[in-house]
Amino acid sequence: MRFTFNKEWLQKNADRDDNLEIAAGSFSLDQLPPAEGDPGDRTTVLAFGRLINLCRRKRGWTIEGLASSARIDVSEAIRIERDASYVPGPRTVFQLSTALGLPRERMLQLSGNMIVRDRGLGEQAVRFAARSASVEKLSRQEHLALEEFVKYLNEPR
Amino acid sequence: MSDRSRTYLKDLRTGQLAEASLIDGVSRDEIERSESLWRPILLESLEIRQRSGIAKGSWPEHSHWDWRKKHAATEGLIAYRMFGVECEGDMQGLMLVSTAGHPCRIAEQRGKEQVYIDFVASAPWNSRELVDSPRYGLVGRVLIATAVQLSLAEGFRGRVGLHSLPQSETFYATNCGMTDLGKDTKKEGLRYFETTPAQAAAFLR
Repeated sequence: MRFTFNKEWLQKNADRDDNLEIAAGSFSLDQLPPAEGDPGDRTTVLAFGRLINLCRRKRGWTIEGLASSARIDVSEAIRIERDASYVPGPRTVFQLSTALGLPRERMLQLSGNMIVRDRGLGEQAVRFAARSASVEKLSRQEHLALEEFVKYLNEPR
Repeated sequence: MSDRSRTYLKDLRTGQLAEASLIDGVSRDEIERSESLWRPILLESLEIRQRSGIAKGSWPEHSHWDWRKKHAATEGLIAYRMFGVECEGDMQGLMLVSTAGHPCRIAEQRGKEQVYIDFVASAPWNSRELVDSPRYGLVGRVLIATAVQLSLAEGFRGRVGLHSLPQSETFYATNCGMTDLGKDTKKEGLRYFETTPAQAAAFLR
């Protein structure tokens, strides 16, 4: 089949499209997500929720603020922070990672979207979950736990 | 058999339009050659990112797509078409569409047939996520215009649907004027976009 493209139309829109990504289809997860019905490792999912909670509070954001920044539903942000059995979808994890400046692949692993093959990540997640407790203001201990865990997540592998 | 139609891309080095070809029916050889060119540049860009300490999770989400597998899986199937945009002798973007099995979701056209874009991506050297100075722009616009024209030719009146990766949502919502139907929980939580005939006509104007 032959197609026609108006040169003036392309010229008119050329500047508007600069710098915009166009990829569509699906994520390129190179590891399978847990099988349906398999809740995955609850500890890493718990650590994921705690990580989101602490990163949000460190920035002084409300849950509504986090949801707005990440362009996700407020109800989903609440579930992520409070429900250790809740596994958010890859898009939500992607959006949260971008909003909070966290590495996407490891966030996908922590959140239960990818199999955790890095034993160190699992151990660090357990340690982090154990050290962070839910209080309104970030305690010094929580602050240290958060800094240490984020540093580990960002280390190149 | 493949058909070639003349189109244009924006050469971002000069700011001028450059003549290009829209290929309907990308061959296996063309896919092999594209992958052989795309892959090293992709890997080099990713290695630079790794050396710079940029976490792997921050790399583009379509960086592992293997177009050879997609071509092999759909070759010879009537419902699938693979398109490419070639410029300067190199493939600048690829798109796989299907013309069956993805009925419309917008209420006013629910259940009607459309062209569904299974995958679309630009060459790695055209992505600002991968390189500092991309070579060509307008790849996405040319490919979406192709999907709309195919939809018109098939009698679908310009109806087109797709699931956008998060970093591309602005392009489809704002620049293409597609309707955002929200997250699709059955498709990795990606947002689903669709055009009506009126939107398709407005896009091409």
